[in-house]
Order: sequence, then structure tokens, then C-alpha cells
Amino acid sequence: MVTTLDAVDVVIAGAGICGTMLAAKLATAGKTVVVLEQGPNRAPSDLISSQLWSRRLKWNGLPVELAGTDPTGYRFNTGWGVGGSGIHHYAQWPRLKPEDFHTKTLYGKAVDWPIEYNDLRPFYDKVQAEVGISGDHQAEIWRPPGDPYPMPPLLTTPQADILAKGFNAIGLRTAPMPLAINSTEYKGRPACIYDGWCDAGCPIGALANPFVTYLPTARQAGAEFRTSATVTRVLTDRTGKRAAALEYYDATGHLQIQSASLIILAANGTQNVRLLLNSARAGHENGLANRSGTVGLYFMAHLAMPTSGMFDQDLQNDLGVTGGALLNQDGYGKHRPNGPFGSYAWAISSARKPNDIIGLANTEGALFGPDYDRFLKNAARGLATMMGIGEITPRPENRITYGDGKDAFGYPAMKIVLSADNNAKALAAIIRAEGIKVMKAAGASQIWAPDAVNWQHLVGGHRMGADRRTSVCDSYGITHDLPNLVLTGTGIFPTEGATHPTFSSHALTQRTAEYLVKNWSGIA
Amino acid sequence: MTERTTELGTPRRAILKGAALSGLIFTIDGISRVLTPAQAYAADLPLTILTAAEKRALEALGETLLPGATAAGLAHYIDLEIAEAPGDCLLFARIVDVALPYAAFYQAVLREIDGAAVRQHNAPFADLEPETQIAFTAAMRDGTLPGWQGPSAPFAFFVLRNDATDVVYGTVEGFDKLGIPYMPHIAPPRPW
Repeated sequence: MVTTLDAVDVVIAGAGICGTMLAAKLATAGKTVVVLEQGPNRAPSDLISSQLWSRRLKWNGLPVELAGTDPTGYRFNTGWGVGGSGIHHYAQWPRLKPEDFHTKTLYGKAVDWPIEYNDLRPFYDKVQAEVGISGDHQAEIWRPPGDPYPMPPLLTTPQADILAKGFNAIGLRTAPMPLAINSTEYKGRPACIYDGWCDAGCPIGALANPFVTYLPTARQAGAEFRTSATVTRVLTDRTGKRAAALEYYDATGHLQIQSASLIILAANGTQNVRLLLNSARAGHENGLANRSGTVGLYFMAHLAMPTSGMFDQDLQNDLGVTGGALLNQDGYGKHRPNGPFGSYAWAISSARKPNDIIGLANTEGALFGPDYDRFLKNAARGLATMMGIGEITPRPENRITYGDGKDAFGYPAMKIVLSADNNAKALAAIIRAEGIKVMKAAGASQIWAPDAVNWQHLVGGHRMGADRRTSVCDSYGITHDLPNLVLTGTGIFPTEGATHPTFSSHALTQRTAEYLVKNWSGIA
Repeated sequence: MTERTTELGTPRRAILKGAALSGLIFTIDGISRVLTPAQAYAADLPLTILTAAEKRALEALGETLLPGATAAGLAHYIDLEIAEAPGDCLLFARIVDVALPYAAFYQAVLREIDGAAVRQHNAPFADLEPETQIAFTAAMRDGTLPGWQGPSAPFAFFVLRNDATDVVYGTVEGFDKLGIPYMPHIAPPRPW
């Protein structure tokens, strides 16, 4: 039995950062909004300060198959439930740079965005004022033009200070990491207390997670959130030219159809691709919005190259913020004569707990027994860590596609294929070598810098573009093929820079929301 | 534990007092009792999913990976968590994309540890001499155990070493052993 529900103005798949933000903006503009979330409802009380308990915040949907010569992780990078990955994100909010939007024109690499930095700048500024960012726009010499940060930078720890000396000793610079974490009270939200639990979730709301940014606004404006709602397809009208509804199963396994004038997919890039592929029908045999054949292609992640060093003093490395107190972008220049293409940057001085993926434990992956125990005891006082983040260029063979399994409703599971090409490996080697150099200059007695390629962030898969033959959607996320079907999130990025993507995702979503409201009658 | 102060001005020990330590509910002879995992280990409570042989292999390997893991309740921790619904599971396996069900992963790994030990040394892992256990574990880490079948041996080493670290140092008590103030916003209701 299928229940067809009363039509609303907007139905959104996914209650993460983009879904809650669009729900807030569109409901505030007077639209009736329903948000369908596969996971459970969440509240700040779910944000338990424990690396074990916080694992419940990560993806618990159908497993995603991971393939390629250098597969990325999936669950660690994703969320589960209202708030999505925004609940446990690290709040590193630097901006993309003007050159990130024009890699084809400037360097002959990859593809240009259909917009430039100046198109996005007002929306960076607007979100920054709404949400609050701590930083120092003058010290951050690499930053493109933009309004000053509304809050001063967060304080540093001895870990940050000693690493800054290492950078400075070899002629590199550091600046406060721009963080969506309050250094002072901001709009009724308290300041950070530097306890280092960011990645387990910040229940006090010093870190800008959806609980304190757009979710309350969305609910106050009347947006309805339905949880345990597994969206399976986008349905079209009879002509196949317009999206008509989202089909979903509720918690009891009952099939529902939620019609709407505007359909938004905000379920993360992998799940957005899944919904588009699942929605194949006559006239859209390769999946919805896939006349270009590029749905799922040009997937990216960021190179994630950690470097750690042991020092004699107590660096208080359990304190501060998970995302790092300092930033270095001296390596952002993409072109290197006789060297690999692509930007890189450093997130410096991450607060570390003993266990979990980014904990002290996995700095040294080979030790065991009493030697490992001794390492942990030393690391708890003297380990300093920084993370190099590197850009890879989008390639069609890195892709999101169907995997082997099926869900309870008969729809295929997904697979992410990711391999590092020689350029990416060469850039990773440069990052690694620089990290070692910094640590030596800082005076580390032992240094760890794995040479294996690691990844963070999930980017691309349904990219925007000016050419409908090579892209899925326009710069607002509106699909080329169906004018009332909108894609959001990092999946629409054509290239990724060496920038943590959450702030850019917010800015793009803000821009989309304003466009949709302003042009409602022509779209919905 | 060393009292530390910081220029951040945070009262580092003050918040720790709010951390509640509780236990897990075990049913013994039809009576529910709240025990910590370490107490469950000390009481030698039976496991629900892992077999006695799997428990022996797990405890022996866990102790080789990180001393103290057995007494901290590693076997009871994994046995309880693999019985949980995937959404409630707290295992490290969850965030490194181990395929469901997690019990199958652990059982395959533990069976193969003993299988490889028997093939190589004519005895299950728990019965090997400590030096042999160390060499075996290093070979598992390096992927050089001959004839290993099932989940990748280095990946299994990685997951189980993290499990051992979780139970020894990932709790309020574990932080205290390392001299790290726990300072929770919301304290975990129990270690796991």
C-alpha cells in the first residue's frame, strides 16, 4: 500500500547542514517545507564526550563499498540523523580562493567553476555573520577579500605554539585557523572552553553545529522533520520533465509519496547520486538528471597527510579544538615548475584524545605491547600533530556508482572508487616532506609521517558546470535536466582546492536559498 | 595524576568530577547485576556470542597488543557490542567501514588467528610462548603470516589494537591513567 501525502512547497532529502539550512531559509520565506531524514532525531544531549559513544553519530545506513587502489573511508566522514555530519564536524572554515574557481583557465587543469570567487564572497560574508567565525583576517595573509571575522581568534595551546616556531624557523607562516567556534559569546551562544571534544559533538553550542545554527530557525518557521524516513527515489511527472515527489519508506516500512513543487537532494554526494540513479525511468534511462552521463563521476577527497612529533615538554595536547588552532597556506600555489599540480595547506595543533582514528593511538600504528603502552604515556604529554590537506584533480574514473549489495527495498548499494594518480602521490610526498621539516625545526625528538595516501572529506560526484554536456547542475545546484530538482552539498563542487569544504558548502547553499526564494515562480 | 594548569584558564580538573562511572547490566542466574567490564572479566562471566576458544584468542592477542586489555574487559566489551544493533554499536569497526555483521568479522579473525597459530606452531595462539606470540603478532601486522585466510591480517591488527586501546585508555578511568583530565561536556553513562 502506498500513501500519497498532501503536496507541500518543498521536500528535502537529508537533514544535515545543507538540508537544515535550506529548510530554515525557505520556511522563513513562507514556504511549506518537509525534510526527510533516514536517521534518528538528534538533540544536543546525544553529544556524549567520548570517542566511543560518539561513533553512534556516524553513518548507519546501507554500507558503502569502497574500491580503487587508494580507497577512502565513508562512515567516518558522514553523519547519521538530524544534523548529519555537521554534528561532529571540526568547524575549520577557511574560504576557497579565487584561483580555485578557474583551474582550467589559469593552469589548463580540471575544469572551471561556472562562478567566480566574487560571486560567492557576499554569501561567505553573510553566513559568517549569521553563524560566527573566530579568526584574524589580517594575520591570515592568504585569505581572499572578505569581511573581517566577527570574533577574535581562539587561544592557542603550547602544542600550537611549538609548531608555529617550527614553521617560522623554516620561513613559513602561520595564522589562526578560521573556526566556526566561538571565542567569545556570540548571538547568545557561549564561548568555547577548549576541552577538545569537538569531534564528539559540542552540546554547549560554542561550535556551529546545526543544533545552534539553522535547525532551530527551520523548526520555528514551521519546517517539518520526519525521521527514520528512507528516501528511495525521485519521482517525476508524466512528462518526465519535472520532478514531482520523493518516494520514501517510513519507520514501519510503509511506502509514502511526498509531492512538492520543489525537490531538493541534500543527502550527501554519495546518497544524492544513489537517489538519482535509483530514479531512472523512461526518458531518463541512465538515472535522473543524468543526460550528461556524469552523475557519480569526478568524485574527489582531500589528501590527508598527518605529521606528528614527540617533544619533551607537556604540550597539553588534549586541550584546544579538534580542527587545529593554526593554519598555514604557504603551499596553496597550485603550479610548481617540474612538480605536481595542486594546493595544499596545514591544519596545525589538533586536540587529541588517546583513542580513535585521530587519537594518539594511531599516530604510531606499528607498535604493540609494552612499547606501545610507553608511547601512549609519552604521547599524552608531548605529542604535537598537524594535518596536511591536499587537492586532487577530478577524474572520471574516481566515481560513485552502484555496488554489489541491495537494501531492504531492493535498491542497489553504492560503491566509491578512488585511486590516487601520480600527481596526487607526488603532492602527498611534498606535504609529507614539508611536515617532517617543520617538526625537525620545532625540535621534535621523534617524527611520524606516514607515506601512505590517506583521505578526508567526500567531494564531487554530481558537479555543477556551465556546460550541460559535462555537468549535472548549475551553480545553484539546479539540475540541467529538471528545473525543479536541486542538488546541494559538497557533491556539486567541480574542484576542491585545499580547503575544508563546510564553509563553502554553507555559502553555496545560502546563495541557492536566496535564488530560489527570489525566483520561486519560475522554478517551482 | 598530575594537576595541570593552562594559560587558557580552564579549571582542568573541576569538570571531571561530573563524570559518572557506571557499569553494564549482566544477567547472572536470572538476576540482573550492574558490573564494570573489568568486574565482568574478574567474575569470569560467560560471553553471549564469542565461543570460549574465541575468547581465549581475543584475550591473549589483546594482552599482547596492549597490556591491561584483558583485565579491562576487552572480551566482554566486544562480545556485548557485536550483539548490539549496528546503530547502537560503539566499536571502532563501525567507523572504519567493517562490513556487517561485526560478529562475523571478529569470529573470522579470531578463528584464523588460532588456525594460523596451529598451522605454524601446532598450538592455538593463547598457548604460544610470549616470544612466539609477539613474533606472530608482528607478522600479523606486517601481513606475512603464511596461509592467512579471511579478513586482511594487517587490518585485523589495526582494528583489534584500537579495540584494546579503547578499553584500556578510552574511558574516564583510562584517561586518568594517562594523566589526561577527562573534562566531559556530557559524561558517558558508562564506559561503553
